Amino acid sequence: MPEQHFDPDRAIAGTGMGGTMDLGVDEAESLEKAPGGPEGTGPQGRPRSLWSDAWRDLRRNPVFVVSALVILFLVVISLWPSLITSGSPLTCDLAKAQEGSQPGHPFGFNGQGCDVYTRTVYGARTSVAVGVLATLGVAVLGSVLGALAGFFGGVGDSVLSRITDVFFAIPVVLGGLVLLSVITSNTVWPVIGFIVLLGWPQLSRIARGSVITAKQNDYVQAARALGASPSRLMLRHIAPNAIAPVIVVATIALGTYISLEATLSYLGVGLKPPSVSWGIDISAASPYIRNAPHALLWPSGALAVTVLAFIMLGDAVRDALDPKLR
Amino acid sequence: MGRYVVRRLLQMIPVFVGATLLIFLMVNVMGDPIAGLCGERRCDPATAAQLEKEFGLDKPVWQQYLTYMGNVFTGDFGTAFNGQEVTELMATAFPVTIRLTVIAILFEIVVGIALGVVTGLRRGRPVDTGVLLLTLVVISVPTFVTGLLLQLLLGVKWGWIRPSVSSEAPFDELILPGLVLASVSLAYVTRLTRTSIAENRRSDYVRTAVAKGLPRHRVITRHLLRTSLIPVVTFIGADIGFLMGGAIVTERIFNIHGVGYQIYQGILRQNTQTVVGFVTVLVLVFLVANLVVDLLYAVLDPRIRYA
Amino acid sequence: MLLDVHDLHVEFHTRDGVARAVNGVSYGVDEGETLAVLGESGSGKSVTAQAIMGILDVPPGRITGGEVIFKGRDLLPLKEEQRRKVRGAEMAMIFQDALSSLNPVLSVGDQLGEMFTVHRGMSKKDARAKAVELMDRVRIPAARERVRQYPHQFSGGMRQRIMIAMALALEPALIIADEPTTALDVTVQAQVMELLAELQREYRMGLILITHDLGVVADVADRIAVMYAGRIVESAPVHDIYKAPAHPYTRGLLDSIPRLDQKGRELYAIKGLPPNLMDIPPGCAFHPRCPMARDVCRTDEPPLYEVTESETDRGSACHFWRECLHG
Repeated sequence: MPEQHFDPDRAIAGTGMGGTMDLGVDEAESLEKAPGGPEGTGPQGRPRSLWSDAWRDLRRNPVFVVSALVILFLVVISLWPSLITSGSPLTCDLAKAQEGSQPGHPFGFNGQGCDVYTRTVYGARTSVAVGVLATLGVAVLGSVLGALAGFFGGVGDSVLSRITDVFFAIPVVLGGLVLLSVITSNTVWPVIGFIVLLGWPQLSRIARGSVITAKQNDYVQAARALGASPSRLMLRHIAPNAIAPVIVVATIALGTYISLEATLSYLGVGLKPPSVSWGIDISAASPYIRNAPHALLWPSGALAVTVLAFIMLGDAVRDALDPKLR
Repeated sequence: MGRYVVRRLLQMIPVFVGATLLIFLMVNVMGDPIAGLCGERRCDPATAAQLEKEFGLDKPVWQQYLTYMGNVFTGDFGTAFNGQEVTELMATAFPVTIRLTVIAILFEIVVGIALGVVTGLRRGRPVDTGVLLLTLVVISVPTFVTGLLLQLLLGVKWGWIRPSVSSEAPFDELILPGLVLASVSLAYVTRLTRTSIAENRRSDYVRTAVAKGLPRHRVITRHLLRTSLIPVVTFIGADIGFLMGGAIVTERIFNIHGVGYQIYQGILRQNTQTVVGFVTVLVLVFLVANLVVDLLYAVLDPRIRYA
Repeated sequence: MLLDVHDLHVEFHTRDGVARAVNGVSYGVDEGETLAVLGESGSGKSVTAQAIMGILDVPPGRITGGEVIFKGRDLLPLKEEQRRKVRGAEMAMIFQDALSSLNPVLSVGDQLGEMFTVHRGMSKKDARAKAVELMDRVRIPAARERVRQYPHQFSGGMRQRIMIAMALALEPALIIADEPTTALDVTVQAQVMELLAELQREYRMGLILITHDLGVVADVADRIAVMYAGRIVESAPVHDIYKAPAHPYTRGLLDSIPRLDQKGRELYAIKGLPPNLMDIPPGCAFHPRCPMARDVCRTDEPPLYEVTESETDRGSACHFWRECLHG
């Protein structure tokens, strides 16, 4: 039976199509063809670990540095928004509705007369919270289940595979509409819960696959032959090697979860006013698109930059951790 | 091959049951299925009880599910909030969404593959870097933002198209919505084609084709493209299911009365029959599309044989 | 001379620097002659062949000097379209790994027939008939049925026969075989090599046989050219070399073949590693590994000296070829 070669849950997360998603920084493809490349005579220093090698690569990668700085900035302003704005996102003055940029209000006002700048700054908090918490939940649940299934195999593994199939067959946005439409609580928790519910199968598949691959490595077989206990095998030999793909996919997924939260809020089932979220603001601004496009553009831009930063960070980490590109 | 198909069909059954059951449960949690039936006001207790009995709502959920599925397989998808048969709604909604999906798929095939081939053959050149950055931006900007922006620019500012689609939704009005629906997949198709082309371009059999003295266009179309497009074609095939399920956002932006619109209405009016019915069909489309993709794989790549 | 390569230079530009893969290679092949090009991986033997065929990856590869004179004209200045017409029709190449070198998704009949439809403008049907004929030629059983099959459905030896048939299709004057038997089982190697030699005699083609296996060479080659670090270090008729090598590197290669009459003795191995092509040692490139190296070897690059003591045409790029020959 053939393996599926597409990434089944792109709608939630996943840009992991077909391996390399490099950013056009061309690797010297010729190295293996150019005879006598550096590997033959390279410095015979002590072997460095995959991680320290990756970290060395990442520090020199401008894509990584820029996206990491953007993310750092986002985290800081979502924790302390008052650092860069003195206003409150809920203080609105209908008299100023749809007005453009003016001193003290660089982004102008939205349809309800709220300051777009302040609301955009405060919107970061929702997005970062949803992204980080949902990713944590998905990563923990998905990788534990996937790793156990991959490690022990057997009936549990088959059952888990079928369950993930079931989740993949449900269109994500539709699932969100159905499930979240009944929930009245206006906090980030239902959205996070929903993302974890539909997102874990993707990571469990990745974790399962990489555990199975790691399990077949010769040194793991050797450790097993030498009588290492299952828990020692798993923690000491398999996990360190299997965790890299999980981290990469989780980083990229974080960006797409932020995007999903905004989409659900746009459809009216994610967060609802008076919560502050970019999705809500974009949705609220869309009827006034003709007269006050700025109210739509600023939160949209913030959202796009945020998602882009996480996807590029994941991309850079993938490149750094992919030994094939070395 | 025949045995493989049968086995795959059998494997689809538990997935289908699981997915529809999950939706059924979710919709049941969603709320009061009879709330919409008494008009604006709440039903009085007696009527409510009677209605519940009539629709079998007093029975346990699993029995309701079995009854419902039994009906579905005889072609009875139940009644929508306005008394219309759900199947009637489907007959008007699905053609619209299918048209939208077809346009989106065409964009993926024509634009996505063309861009992927061009960039794959020119790796590292400015064209390549530019297109790659563009795909990254498209992937990062949520579809609803892309849609709203294009609607603003092309529909409102420049007046090239009607910002909202009429209820008949003919092909020409669906071009922009189709592009919006395709946008993220389009970026993936471009990247996937590019990676695939760039990988295979250095392959031994392409070198052989050059050594045979074949003209460049023949090397590319017959030897390079043929193999490089296998993963792309299967991706696009599997995307059909995703596009139809994800069309809800695009349909909302451009006010298209397709499947997503009907489901949205169903949810707003808490009409379980509509929601479950449409989602069931979407799940089926998804599963069948994936089966077709698997079979397509065998047709495209002779190395794959199903036992 | 059918083919005369003269002072060929090829470089690869990579992120880490410039690799000088071929540094002034000259060799020639006559029609009906077999030249074996011998050397470790990275010695530049395959790159030279790719430059002759015109299938070098450019960039990163770049031909920086020399001539490739084939049937009296230099191929290097030709336009790509003219080069293309030579490839496959007048000179053909056989690659090492037939499985990866044949297109996995086209039937072998299509891949063979393509030679005729493209170069000769034949109809598909005639080309198919020609393909069957060729498969018969290289002794593939049941050719008529198997012409529809795909490369993965053939065994390794049969696949390499298909590669040979493809090279042979238009009866080229020159065939370059790059390690044609390396990927095969030992038992099959001999059969494939025999077939190649036989067809070569029959069509009176020139054959450049690239290999690192001295055992293969002895039976089929007329001349041997030994390459090291992108240069020819020794060139001689095959029997002369086996009798008495005139270069320490050749001697090392010969000594590292296991031999029955020396059972029990430790097998010889050339010490050290092949040079880094981005940083080729000054003087004689082989000196860091050479048991005979002296001061002059570290400073002066030896030219290809004519081995005057030999009655045949022979050259050695060793300052002390005389000692080597007698020692």
